[in-house]
Amino acid sequence: MTRRLIGIGNPDRSDDAAGWEVAGSVSSWDVDRRTAGSLDLLELWSADDEVVIVDAMRSGARPGTIHIFDAADEALPVGAFASTHAFGPAAVIELARSLDRLPHSLVVIGIEVGDTSHGRHMSPEVARAVNKVSVDLQNA
Amino acid sequence: MQGEKREISVDYLARVEGEGAMYLKLDGDNVEELQFNIFEPPRFYEAFLRDRRFSEAPDITARICGICPVAYQISSVNAMENAAGVNVSDGIESLRRLLYCGEWIESHTLHVYMLHAPDFLGYPSAIEMAGDMPDIVTNALRLKKLGNTIMTVVGGREIHPINVKVGGFYRAPSRQELRSLVAELEWAIDTAEQTVALVAGFDFPDFERDYEFVALHHPDEYAITDGRIISNRGLDIDVTEWGDHFEESHVEWSNALHSRLKERGSYYLGPMARFALNAEQLSPRAAEAARSVGLVPGESNPFKSIIVRAVEILFACEEALRLIGAYRLPDPSFVAVEPRSAVGHGASEAPRGLLYHRYEIDGDGLIADAQIVPPTSQNQGSIEEDLRQFVRSRTHMDDETLTWQLEQAIRNYDPCISCATHFLDLTVERSGRR
Repeated sequence: MTRRLIGIGNPDRSDDAAGWEVAGSVSSWDVDRRTAGSLDLLELWSADDEVVIVDAMRSGARPGTIHIFDAADEALPVGAFASTHAFGPAAVIELARSLDRLPHSLVVIGIEVGDTSHGRHMSPEVARAVNKVSVDLQNA
Repeated sequence: MQGEKREISVDYLARVEGEGAMYLKLDGDNVEELQFNIFEPPRFYEAFLRDRRFSEAPDITARICGICPVAYQISSVNAMENAAGVNVSDGIESLRRLLYCGEWIESHTLHVYMLHAPDFLGYPSAIEMAGDMPDIVTNALRLKKLGNTIMTVVGGREIHPINVKVGGFYRAPSRQELRSLVAELEWAIDTAEQTVALVAGFDFPDFERDYEFVALHHPDEYAITDGRIISNRGLDIDVTEWGDHFEESHVEWSNALHSRLKERGSYYLGPMARFALNAEQLSPRAAEAARSVGLVPGESNPFKSIIVRAVEILFACEEALRLIGAYRLPDPSFVAVEPRSAVGHGASEAPRGLLYHRYEIDGDGLIADAQIVPPTSQNQGSIEEDLRQFVRSRTHMDDETLTWQLEQAIRNYDPCISCATHFLDLTVERSGRR
């Protein structure tokens, strides 16, 4: 069993970098950093892996809010994990569920984002959330 | 229905790459307004390229698209080599073709199975389809992965390959590395053949249009990386003449420039155009598969593009296997390219169709001007004309059915909206999402 951390985010889109930054600061897991949650996510895990995905999220909550989903158990909320790719992370997870290709455990951590404009201007509340998630994962 | 006003609006098209929308306004049977709307913000790649070194173009432009980075790399190196007056060896050309086969397999498989097939089978998405047809979707994922693996072995990385340079490759893979792909390619050829039969069995709306098909044509092979630009209406030009025959223009509802043939208007790019113009050069089993399902060059029902795409998956697998069998390590893996003050033009056949690049290089090897014309931009006119004509005989349909079929008609083109939106001259005040 491998503990696998997948951080999704665009480092050049301000708060959207959240997942990318978390994956960059955790060393106690096998880490993948992705700029987009595409279909290829499916290839990253094996059946007996313990997987955590961290991605930016928009649900209407305050920026910096941390949401935790047990994705092995339930579908992610529709539309909360934005992706301009035809297959975003939520769709890939549901496809994996349909094909019985989910890993042993799959937790998705969504960090609520505000400003996702071009550039590297992560807001302080999102940066705090990134730090908290990173520390918790590092020590988990 | 005469006189009844209806509006059909899809604010966010599903199962396409990028952010697009569609708007239709009907007055009875009369189409008052119809727009294929690309609202993803422009990405200003042409501006980023200015003052960068000519040698950086393949790596910068590869970032335009996660689905077809190889197309951007090859069109850009073709243009830079054209500007410098350099020809590369046959070995390098073959390796580029192999890399490109990986991209065709990956991109076409994604579209055929995961994005377009659900339309024909009545599923909202591949997720529900996978529940009923797990073996087919599992095979599709394996086929797609093979495309990614080819891109990794030849290109160094699957998403935005890093091994392509102006003049050749940083490092040519060994014969042994390529041979590791053979067993999977042999499996893929059988699977792709079954794919052709599967999709040819779908129900297709009764719809045809009289297109001008435009594609590259090469005298010796089914054109992918190189060739002259030809059409079924007599166009036959060198890539350097693109600007003499085509023009781009802005329409207010799209963040991507429209393209047209100066003399004849909209035109059609992509698998169906390539098949119409180059079918005789397909590999043996691909040609036979096309014949066996009754596909004839010049097929003009755009919904049947899914069959042609499947034929091209089979072709790309066979071609990759042939190229690996004939592979001799190119040594050196690149030719030195000295820049000079010149204009260079390059084109190649992206999975979605012809991708044209033009660069002005100054005497120091810096890019003074760049023009990138992606296939989805060029197909916008054709997409809108399809929709306009398609809807005329279907105004009796309820909104839900009509919307479904119109979305399907857009997906016929496998539009890559992210690719299309990187032109220069527009200001958009909008904060985007990834």
